Amino acid sequence: MTKVLVENIAYSKEGRDILKNLYATFPSGGVTSILGPTGCGKTTLLRLIAGLEVPHSGQILIDGKLVTQSNKILIPPNKRNLGFVFQDLALWPHFTVYKNIAFGLEERKDKMTRDKVMQMLEEFGITDQAKKFPHELSGGQKQLVAIARSLILNPSILILDEPVSNLDTQLEIKIIEHLKKIQAEKKFTMLWVMHNHKLAIDHCDFVMVINNGKVEEQGTKENVLKTNNQFINQFIHY
Amino acid sequence: MVRKITLIVHYIISALLAFILGAPLVLLLFNWVINRKEPSFLPDSGLLFLIGSSLLLSTTVAVIATIVGTSCGFLFYKIKSNGFPTYHNILVIPLLISPYIFAVAWRDALYLLFGQYASIYSIWGVIIVHVIIFFPIVMLITGSALSSIHSTLEEAGVVITSFKKTVLRIILPLIKHSITLSFLLVLIFSLTDFSVPAFFGVRTFTTEIFTQFAAFYNYQQAIEQSIILLLVSCSLILLQFRYLAKSPVFAIGQKGSSSKCHELTKGKKWIHSSIAFLIIVTIIFPVFILIYQSLSGSHSYFIEALVSLKGAIGKSFFLAFCGALLITAVAMFTSYAELRSDIRLPGAMLLFLFVTPSTVLGIAYIYFYNTSATAFVYASPIVIILGYAARFSFIAHKIIGNGLKQIPLSMEESGELVGINTYKRYTKLLIPLLTPSLVTTFLLSFILCLNELGTTIMVYPPGTELMPLKVYTISANAPVALTSTMTLVNLIVILLAILIFYYFGKRIKTRFHYD
Repeated sequence: MTKVLVENIAYSKEGRDILKNLYATFPSGGVTSILGPTGCGKTTLLRLIAGLEVPHSGQILIDGKLVTQSNKILIPPNKRNLGFVFQDLALWPHFTVYKNIAFGLEERKDKMTRDKVMQMLEEFGITDQAKKFPHELSGGQKQLVAIARSLILNPSILILDEPVSNLDTQLEIKIIEHLKKIQAEKKFTMLWVMHNHKLAIDHCDFVMVINNGKVEEQGTKENVLKTNNQFINQFIHY
Repeated sequence: MVRKITLIVHYIISALLAFILGAPLVLLLFNWVINRKEPSFLPDSGLLFLIGSSLLLSTTVAVIATIVGTSCGFLFYKIKSNGFPTYHNILVIPLLISPYIFAVAWRDALYLLFGQYASIYSIWGVIIVHVIIFFPIVMLITGSALSSIHSTLEEAGVVITSFKKTVLRIILPLIKHSITLSFLLVLIFSLTDFSVPAFFGVRTFTTEIFTQFAAFYNYQQAIEQSIILLLVSCSLILLQFRYLAKSPVFAIGQKGSSSKCHELTKGKKWIHSSIAFLIIVTIIFPVFILIYQSLSGSHSYFIEALVSLKGAIGKSFFLAFCGALLITAVAMFTSYAELRSDIRLPGAMLLFLFVTPSTVLGIAYIYFYNTSATAFVYASPIVIILGYAARFSFIAHKIIGNGLKQIPLSMEESGELVGINTYKRYTKLLIPLLTPSLVTTFLLSFILCLNELGTTIMVYPPGTELMPLKVYTISANAPVALTSTMTLVNLIVILLAILIFYYFGKRIKTRFHYD
């Protein structure tokens, strides 16, 4: 079943065409790795799905519901039930770790906020960091807080834009495996962009390769890896 | 070795600067402590009432200016719409024009509306003019802070909650230091301004100091009152000292900033009309009143105004040029010493001088330089130039410091590796790389010096004719139309200077843009 459907999306910025009539489908409950060379439009696609950018043409559907249509956001980002982990993590510097995670629940006036946040902190092994501010954390801890913040509202889609880009390889693997475990438990749809192709492919179910604003290939990991597409073979196996 | 020499040079110049600019204030404080006859530190009830009413006036100004300025800052720095950059530039103009010009215009306006009644001389005129000239400070500071918020911090909020709540709970708390700082700066500027209450004939703490000093020759009383005012403004700024000392405050040409801007979709008409109203009130109306009042008098007033300002214009430009040059040099040195050698004394001293009321600074300079050994300073325009430097170097220090922060140390280090000396480090690397910041600093300082009245009126040597002084001294006895005409001529001269500088500034900025 399709969770996200991107139809005929075109997007340009400062006179440069970033996405050119792009079609994409993201299966429900699966993990999709979006791959492609720098500047091909991976991050833009993620931001369009989240509702942080508006396409010039085309439409986006989530669970069959139209959320974005040419030049118009029909459903705002906060009503799309998704979590987003930004490349720079975007932890609010004026909030503690606890507050960063609790913010979304507090906004929804959730009475179980404290319990839910404490449980999340425990799950990520950062309970002792709860009272600290982001600048007092290590790179790995920050990464965990950003992921915990995006998961606290039980999103049906989790979008991760280079979630482990600034970490060492061991920590990268640890965090991705942890994420994968949570995804397997909660069965949400996960889309990620990662610079480490091997790690991205090893832990995903589906692969989408974008080149020059268009989808070169998409499908199950096995099918995409078997393709005869010269660009993909060169790019992935580089 | 080169680094050691640079460090020694920095220490020597720091000490020299502290002595020339800061020592007068320290001496004033020292003498006040030594010579006090009264054992009590509390001023009498009359003075307390004056402090209270001055503080009330300034707080009212600060509250209104903060609300208007923050709203404008948010509109112009976070929202995209046709005409917004132009509106922004127009609304900054009052900041570059001397307060007395607005004071004369609004005094004339109130005179036209209410006639020769007491309302003209009420505090309302002072409040209107102060809000008009000070809200752009808030707009620039909060706008600068808003543009430094990375877009993802806002987007992370928008993914979770509504835009309105993101603004209230994420964006505004992130710029709270800037809002508080703007509020305090406006409060201090309003509290310590001399020209506007003087033109409106409103009795405030600063005008009282001037009266005691210049009219009653009661130096001791003037010094006592100056110390109180200095303590009030210093204690206010202490609340935000750490932030003020560290933050860019006014970020010009910030590189790498990726703040999120939104298209204006709803309420377009209403917002554009509100801004148009603000422009009418702040710029168009005062200028119209000045023109109207000038034309209401005899045509000979124009000739009279031009004749009496002829010498003053040239002299004002010359002194403002020297002042701007000195300020740029001082700021270049202090910001470099602070950022690269971690010498913080000059920067802290400039901040101290910046929050010192202009009249207090004037008294301190007279007290310090009026000796036989330093008569060459006191009896010449040098004292005015030093006054300019003391008043405005902190702003320049911040602008150049911000520019310097964007030049990686590695650029200088790579020069060091090929063997350049301290002199070449400045002339071949730093000055060319810092040109946009240096030009901005010079031009802004020039305009500020051209408009300065508070310190100049205290220290100017006999025979010195400057534009603001000329208008102020003539306004007491001359017909209203003549004062308005002279003010209008001053305004035209200043606006022409701003236009020329804007043109050249833009060209230089384009020429030296390295990105």
